[in-house]
Amino acid sequence: MNATLAMVQDAARRVRQAREVLTESRSTEAVIKALASAAQSWLPPSSPWRAQAVEQAPSVTGFSPAMVNEAIDRAFGAITVESLGALLDRELGDRLVLDEFRPHGRVRARAFGVPLITHLLAGNVPPPGIHSILCGLLVRSGNLVRMSQRDTVFPRLFVESLRAVDPDMAACVSVLEWPREDAALTQVALAKADTVIAHGDDSTMAALRRMMPGTATFIGYGQKVSFGYVCREAMTAEQLPALAAAAAEDVSVYDQQGCLSPHVIYVEERGALSPRKFGAALGEAMAAFHTRIPRGTLSVEEAAGVNLIRSGYEFRAASDRRIAVWASQQPNDWAVIYDDDPSFTPSCLNRVVFVKPTDGMPRVLENIQRFATRISTVGVAPLSERMTDFTNRLAKLGIHRVCPIGQMQRPPLWWYHDGKPNLSALVRWTELG
Amino acid sequence: MKTALELQQRIVAFIGGTTDEFDALAREVFAFQFERNTAYRAFCERKERTPGNITNWREIPAVPASAFREMPLTCFPPSEAVAEFHTSGTTRSNAGRHIFKTLALYDAAILPNFAAHLLPDGARMPMLSLVPDEPQSSLAHMARVLIREFGGGFVKRIEPVGHPVCVLGTAFGFLNLFDEGTVLRLPPGSRAMETGGFKGRSREVAKPYLYELFENHLGIPATHIVNEYGMTELSSQFYDQTFRNGHRTDLKRAPSWVRVRVIDPQTDDDTTPGVRGLLRIYDLANLWSAMCIQTEDLGVRDGNGDGFTLLGRATGAMPRGCSLNAEALLAT
Repeated sequence: MNATLAMVQDAARRVRQAREVLTESRSTEAVIKALASAAQSWLPPSSPWRAQAVEQAPSVTGFSPAMVNEAIDRAFGAITVESLGALLDRELGDRLVLDEFRPHGRVRARAFGVPLITHLLAGNVPPPGIHSILCGLLVRSGNLVRMSQRDTVFPRLFVESLRAVDPDMAACVSVLEWPREDAALTQVALAKADTVIAHGDDSTMAALRRMMPGTATFIGYGQKVSFGYVCREAMTAEQLPALAAAAAEDVSVYDQQGCLSPHVIYVEERGALSPRKFGAALGEAMAAFHTRIPRGTLSVEEAAGVNLIRSGYEFRAASDRRIAVWASQQPNDWAVIYDDDPSFTPSCLNRVVFVKPTDGMPRVLENIQRFATRISTVGVAPLSERMTDFTNRLAKLGIHRVCPIGQMQRPPLWWYHDGKPNLSALVRWTELG
Repeated sequence: MKTALELQQRIVAFIGGTTDEFDALAREVFAFQFERNTAYRAFCERKERTPGNITNWREIPAVPASAFREMPLTCFPPSEAVAEFHTSGTTRSNAGRHIFKTLALYDAAILPNFAAHLLPDGARMPMLSLVPDEPQSSLAHMARVLIREFGGGFVKRIEPVGHPVCVLGTAFGFLNLFDEGTVLRLPPGSRAMETGGFKGRSREVAKPYLYELFENHLGIPATHIVNEYGMTELSSQFYDQTFRNGHRTDLKRAPSWVRVRVIDPQTDDDTTPGVRGLLRIYDLANLWSAMCIQTEDLGVRDGNGDGFTLLGRATGAMPRGCSLNAEALLAT
């Protein structure tokens, strides 16, 4: 149900009030415990939250029920007492600054979450939205959440699961939906906020920045691409099956819709096995992943995109040795396209990935330089000493994360999402002494 | 070579109205192209579809339109080409090329289909083309053929005239003309053929509004405007049934020598009428290149016949998650 202006105003008021109660009544340890406990309540196979999500999310997000189950394991499995505590300690130095004045150099300092954070969520991939809400709750702010129209299930059910654990905490979040085009409501939600966390495409971000009130902080998470890099030392018969399975997981999770999903996997030449062999092995692994966790339903536009990319490369592959295609029998469940053109070819998504041979890291750096600011994660196999120079150069280009292949879709809870601290813009500090 | 020319003659005759069978001709064209085009043959063999094992024209493998951007798709040595048309390539770095051994089929296919949709009343009138006379534009070539047949010429603006005329142009070309301030009333019976969209252009308007502008600026009523759908990769065109039916409709019909399927992109099977899918076109006039083309356009088949409605380009679906899509990345 779409929110009205009155509902947004009322929600903003209520979560601010609830936040007042919470800052007085809950310690950071209690907050961490409640959040972890809510998250863990999703994990048992018999969890009612899981059951509801598996029932409701496929039609909204487009993911298969198996993918929804997988998303639950990944998103909520990562939320533990330890990881939440670590997130606070890493970013605020000491989690107890949210409870009392703590030593801070020669003085002491304590921090309070801002009264109201407005979260504007986007897309169908659950973790970014859940992470956003978690951060707001960790610092005990009030949270006004506009859900993405492509995922009206996960944020709502997460807050419900929290309500079952700690109703006062759940009262600090109001989860609403209204169309992105309804600028008047968005304007109100922005006007009330101390901090705005927004997810979305370039045009959405630009529009929101123009609408921002002068006093609030804006944190934008844009759309990104990711890619993989396989070193020649990983290209052995012994390692290949596990490596391909790890890469297939990175590609296939969330049907490649996420900013951490690789579009291209570069494979170094001159290994014991050729880059083409990696393509073939990845094809097998993609098929196995699809059997376990099928790709979801596509719109006709998406299916057409996959069909056209695939048939275009299949046509070329028939007579051009530089190209090869491994793909599902059913035309478009998944496809691996080998193309020796070293340029970065963005995928049409939905489990279509390019494999490209490369003569080394300098060439890859050259090929990604132009849009380096649009790259989130580089998955590497293996993440060895030899990669030190490469990773430093990637860092210099502004790439947010380098991790082992197989871990691309599993960033730690405390990762610097899009290279930014998660909590610093959500708190205000007071120093004493 | 004799058989190829015989086949060409039979297709020209079929376009002219002989009672040859589409299926038989299509399979002969397939056999011809399978033999003459190595890249196509390799693709068909990969798909295990050969002239020996297919049972009807629907099983003929489709050449993806993108292949025209990658290689010369001909059933003759490209050195023998007499003409070459290029796609506009507004959204692609490399344009597609359609290379012709002869324009006999192309030219033969233009007139009867155009006349059936723009001149069903039997009228003859000069053709005024707002499409610039560029040698490698298939649309300009079509205008050249029409001007040769009916008179008229290439024009930059429309002047008042004393007799009905038929104006040819792209939707964007007409919009430009109207923006420049042309206001006149062409004599009753005048008509227009508009084609193409606004993709990549500075300005776009909805088609119903564009048709109002035709009335206001040229005095051509919406019932006298026919939308054409053509592709550089084909040799035949499609027109909506507006003028024939006397009221506006987006429904297009293929001429007798062409078949259009709407396929489910997930399965490659025909969609049921009313369900959107990719247009796959079988054009016998494409004898010397590739008869069956997998277009990048979405369409829908109408409920009771071989008509279809074009819905626009299929490329560029928006990502559902937080991944950046190809177009946005390439625009960086």
